[in-house]
Amino acid sequence: MEAELYRNGSGDEVSVLSIKQLESYTEHSVVFPAFTMEVSRHEAVALHTGMNARAVLLGILTGKLPVAEGEITINGHIYTGRIRQAVPEIAFMLLEEGEYTRLTVKENLRFYSKLYGSSRPVDEVIRMVRLDAKAGVRLSALSHSERKRVQYARLIIQGSQLLVCEEPDQNVDNETKLVFRRLVQQLCGSGKAVLILTGNMETALSTTNRVYRLDEKGLQAFDIQGEEDQTEGLAEAEPNLLDIAEEEAVNEAEQTLRLFRFEKIPTRINDKIILFNPPEVDYVESSDGQTQLSIGGELYPTTFKINELEERLHSYGFFRCHRSYLVNLQKVREVITFTRNSYSLVLDDAAKTSVPLSKTKMAELKEMMGLK
Amino acid sequence: MTFSTRRIFAILQKDYKDLSRNLFVSTTLIMPLLMAVLFGRMGIEGIASHYLIINLGFILVGAYVQSSLIAEEKEKNTLRGLMLSPASTLEIFCGKSLLSFIATAVVVAGSIWLSGYNPRNLAVIAIALVLSAVFYVGLGTLIGLFTKSVMEASVVIVPVMFIFSSGSFLTPFIDKYPVLAVVEYMPNLQLLELANRVEAGAGLGDVLLHLLVILAWVLVIHAVAAYVYKKRMVDE
Repeated sequence: MEAELYRNGSGDEVSVLSIKQLESYTEHSVVFPAFTMEVSRHEAVALHTGMNARAVLLGILTGKLPVAEGEITINGHIYTGRIRQAVPEIAFMLLEEGEYTRLTVKENLRFYSKLYGSSRPVDEVIRMVRLDAKAGVRLSALSHSERKRVQYARLIIQGSQLLVCEEPDQNVDNETKLVFRRLVQQLCGSGKAVLILTGNMETALSTTNRVYRLDEKGLQAFDIQGEEDQTEGLAEAEPNLLDIAEEEAVNEAEQTLRLFRFEKIPTRINDKIILFNPPEVDYVESSDGQTQLSIGGELYPTTFKINELEERLHSYGFFRCHRSYLVNLQKVREVITFTRNSYSLVLDDAAKTSVPLSKTKMAELKEMMGLK
Repeated sequence: MTFSTRRIFAILQKDYKDLSRNLFVSTTLIMPLLMAVLFGRMGIEGIASHYLIINLGFILVGAYVQSSLIAEEKEKNTLRGLMLSPASTLEIFCGKSLLSFIATAVVVAGSIWLSGYNPRNLAVIAIALVLSAVFYVGLGTLIGLFTKSVMEASVVIVPVMFIFSSGSFLTPFIDKYPVLAVVEYMPNLQLLELANRVEAGAGLGDVLLHLLVILAWVLVIHAVAAYVYKKRMVDE
């Protein structure tokens, strides 16, 4: 590596990945406008993105696409788009990761261990991803979830400073989700930085507290769970403003509601207005200022704010389990504790949808259920 | 980035295990040996028949195994992962070529033994065979880079097998069509010519020209493979 690429040679900086004014355009459309973000050591950041933005961002990071505009710094070195220079510092887990299906779990991990020169015992890593019973099984005989856990194991073995995961827990079982969440906590605890790119809000919210949305409108901090230890003033200022606006809207809504009691919730799809009975609704999700009702796996946008709906639906047994989720408690089957700080509610529908449950709301829920 | 034998051996070991479980490829390893047994029992005469088997070994093992090793990494999308690992391109290809080379050496030595070929000057023949093996492994690398899957590689290997093993059939036509004289510089024909001379009692000094021609083929094929890799892999 050329010496001029080093900004300073210490390598002991807090910021592992720093993106400055990075932007991307394809022909006539904006993939994402210039944005700036930073991922530090001990920190996991989730980017909630669409397919397009994700493909472009990963393309840039894996060296397929050039850094057209802006600057990416990894561990203090300016990243020029030639991936070989950044190799020891980034570990990737892409959605379509190639694997040696004829080798067993143990042989695969032994190979990675030698390839990356890891000193960690392979057996310990296999236990961490809960594959001890399958260590001698070829990858071709494993389920999708178990194969994904082999990929998690590879991430541990690689031991890079920065881990980039694309859709880390898509279509995997709950055990694997749990393994992944624990893994992210452990990696962060040992000083690594984790960047998660996902199109699934539940994945993003349940893995980390720092969630951003990246799309053609730019980068927005999505949700700061209102936890005491969050001190990002700038990011918090916006949601507060929103809160005030929302409260005003609620006041107005109350006045109209006093006149008569209308219980169905209108949703609008194209030109049609569809009315739903509250008990039909599985949960309500709010993202980007847009509130959507989830009914039987389909999402229906509604013009109401989530705060208004919370008030209207309280008497129907709806519970605000998260800043951006309102769940129909009648439909909840299971409460899963992933880690001490991360929980999910699993619904009683065919797809076993899970909805995030924040830490503060967990206490409230326990109280409601009469548990201490 | 330092050159690490540990990573080369990791890749070699991984490919060895993978290959030994890949029936599709590993059964082709037996082909030259079967032919050698058959020819040996029938009692073959002449150097040309021995070299037909040896050439078959070179192509089916050296070129075909190497091409399918690389094509499979591309097919299964694992080459990208290797490229994103600390292993350099040179290390990746060294590890793979080493496995193909060892397999070729074992199979060719086995078929020489089984067919009962006993060269007069073993040292010279050994040098020529090693150089040829390196050439065919390079050829396999090139085929692997051009193809996208093991299936495709096994189709491409057929014309290659025809060109590099049937060259000797063209020699009678050289008097009639002088253009075909180029054929005499094919590595397989050079190897055959060299073996004929050795049987006639020639030493290392007498066959140096043939060795140099084969060496030139080795250098050219590896240079082309390196160029194609740069050209193709960077875009993908």
